[in-house]
Amino acid sequence: MSDIALPVRRPSSFARLFEAYGQEIVVLAAIVVLFAIVGLVNPRFLSDTNLTSIFSGNAYIAVAAIGMAMVIISGHIDVSVGSLIGVLATIAGTLAVSGYPIWVAWLVPVLVGIAINTCLGALIAYMRIPSIVATLGMLSILKGGLISATGGTWITGMPPGFFIAQARLFGIPSPVYFMVVLTILVALWMRYSATGRSIYAVGGNAEAARASGLNPERTCVLVFALHGFFAGIAALLFATQLQVIQSTVPPNLELTVITAAVIGGVSILGGTGTVIGSTLAAILFACIGSALIFLNVSAYWLRAVLGLLILATVLADMARRRRGLSP
Amino acid sequence: MIRKTLFAAAALAAMAGSAFAASAWTGGDDLPTNPLACDGTAGAAAAKPYDGGEPTGAPDRKGKKITVVDVPKLIGIGYFNATSKGIADAAKELGNVDAKTDGPTQANIDQQITFIDNYITSGVDGILFAANDPVAIAPVLKKALSKGINVVGYDANSQPDARQWFVNQAEFNGIAKAMVDNLAKEIGEEGAFAIVTSTFTTPNQARWIAEMAAYAEKCHPKMKWLETVEAQEDNVLSFNQATTLINKYGDELKGIFGMTSVATPASAEAVTQANKCGTIAVVGLATPNAMKPYVEKDCVKSVVLWNPVDLGYAAMQVLRAVADGDLKPGATSVKAGKLGELQVINGSEILLGAPFVFSKENIGQFDF
Repeated sequence: MSDIALPVRRPSSFARLFEAYGQEIVVLAAIVVLFAIVGLVNPRFLSDTNLTSIFSGNAYIAVAAIGMAMVIISGHIDVSVGSLIGVLATIAGTLAVSGYPIWVAWLVPVLVGIAINTCLGALIAYMRIPSIVATLGMLSILKGGLISATGGTWITGMPPGFFIAQARLFGIPSPVYFMVVLTILVALWMRYSATGRSIYAVGGNAEAARASGLNPERTCVLVFALHGFFAGIAALLFATQLQVIQSTVPPNLELTVITAAVIGGVSILGGTGTVIGSTLAAILFACIGSALIFLNVSAYWLRAVLGLLILATVLADMARRRRGLSP
Repeated sequence: MIRKTLFAAAALAAMAGSAFAASAWTGGDDLPTNPLACDGTAGAAAAKPYDGGEPTGAPDRKGKKITVVDVPKLIGIGYFNATSKGIADAAKELGNVDAKTDGPTQANIDQQITFIDNYITSGVDGILFAANDPVAIAPVLKKALSKGINVVGYDANSQPDARQWFVNQAEFNGIAKAMVDNLAKEIGEEGAFAIVTSTFTTPNQARWIAEMAAYAEKCHPKMKWLETVEAQEDNVLSFNQATTLINKYGDELKGIFGMTSVATPASAEAVTQANKCGTIAVVGLATPNAMKPYVEKDCVKSVVLWNPVDLGYAAMQVLRAVADGDLKPGATSVKAGKLGELQVINGSEILLGAPFVFSKENIGQFDF
């Protein structure tokens, strides 16, 4: 088995399936076990209202984690995504209260997200600035700029049609559709399209990818542009969830998003992982957050539990790689 | 694979283990509490000697027209517009005060010091301030005292010896009483409630919660405290936590306390989106603007804070009383115009009184 563990298309046996989607299956199993345990302690955990809150209230994290998974698979990282979502949410709210049509208030943040991250991707790809440094710089620019521009004033009084995240179809909140549809589309695209697979190839070994005719720079810019798109969608879901936009950067959001990608099985070394894993991991966090209240545990444990999960996942990834290298 | 599964299982086990190990945590601190009387009589003021400063060589200003400048933390925001209005109202009512408000447009201590310094040089009789930093502002205020200027603070204190008096908008036990009384009024003496706070270690919130627990035990002993959850100062997290509380307790939950200006509107939003308006009451500390949508829809009946117009009004009245020589060190109360007699606490502070409760009838008059 090669180092670049592309999802293998031979689910002839459970072992094969597990080999291809091991981490996804573990995360899914963790979700099921968690539902079972907490549901036994307090059956209200499984009530449809609570399930709806778990899935819809945190869907924006899953959507942002789709882009983050792509960035990490391509061999980079982005620590600025939380600040970007804060900025884009503020732009959406400001446009909505300034009387622009609602579709403008929805579209502009997505376009701005794509534009900002395309520039970021170009800096990283062509100026050879390591992505951790470039995005750390972007984090400071966005965070400082946002506080200076808004002075921390809340945005209220958006028109009623603005609140896309509060809309429901067949009783299911719209964020759930965004999360599920985008995850499936991107998972299929990354697995079956040539461009999608080139992201794995570049992330696994950029020079080998170049030798086989791929353009790692272009791939990097494309991945960051797509990441900006998903950040834009996440910002819309985030901004339209409540009647108030705080116009500050949501605390630790970038860490949560990165953690979702990593726990979902995306290797921090690049080249492997799927967005199905990142979405499942985002759902797992939401479940844990809710379960902590149902089990009367301090929310501080959420951070500790996430830390444990990260370490466990990365250790498992290392073990898998060692085994992959010496069969 | 097996190893990975084991890791995941270990992580989950650790989590489940902590669940059973953790005891119910109230969110209060361990400091002694001082609950007020149930019927609303003022708390006993602990005898403490005057610890404010004294102006040197102040002229006799009794009954004479005085010039006063008010330097708040910043100007141009609703909250300090409201205190300025109170100051102007009091000056107009007194008739012998020429008061104006001037200050930085950002809450910046350096700029605030410059403003005060300039007004000392230009010559004023009195300075009102709301400090951006209690320590950094002290030297310039002491300079004002040394020039014979009367100095009174409000909203945000300085070191006590850098000013004469400070008008304290609310004491912890007063806020606690207003919160618990209002929720008891809405959900009844046997209702069950939960609290959404910032973090368990935030000093003000922990103090309020401890005082609320003490007051509830004394005056509303049958109310049931379900739990306290943390939501930092994060809007979406506050909403999610409040929603989870609603889902967890179902019909048992009758009320939610919001302990921050973020948690209260987010809790109201959670109740609204869960279609529980009218069955789950929200009472909390918050600014009126953020709460208007919920108060106007009858989803929230009581928002607890203080009235900043009254705060400015009281500060101006106190300054006049000091300039007239009517308020001297050792006094136990001071007359403050339409607000009546205000109590002296903590040596050199004047308590504005019981907190103000914003309701549907009055919330439209406030813009901050």
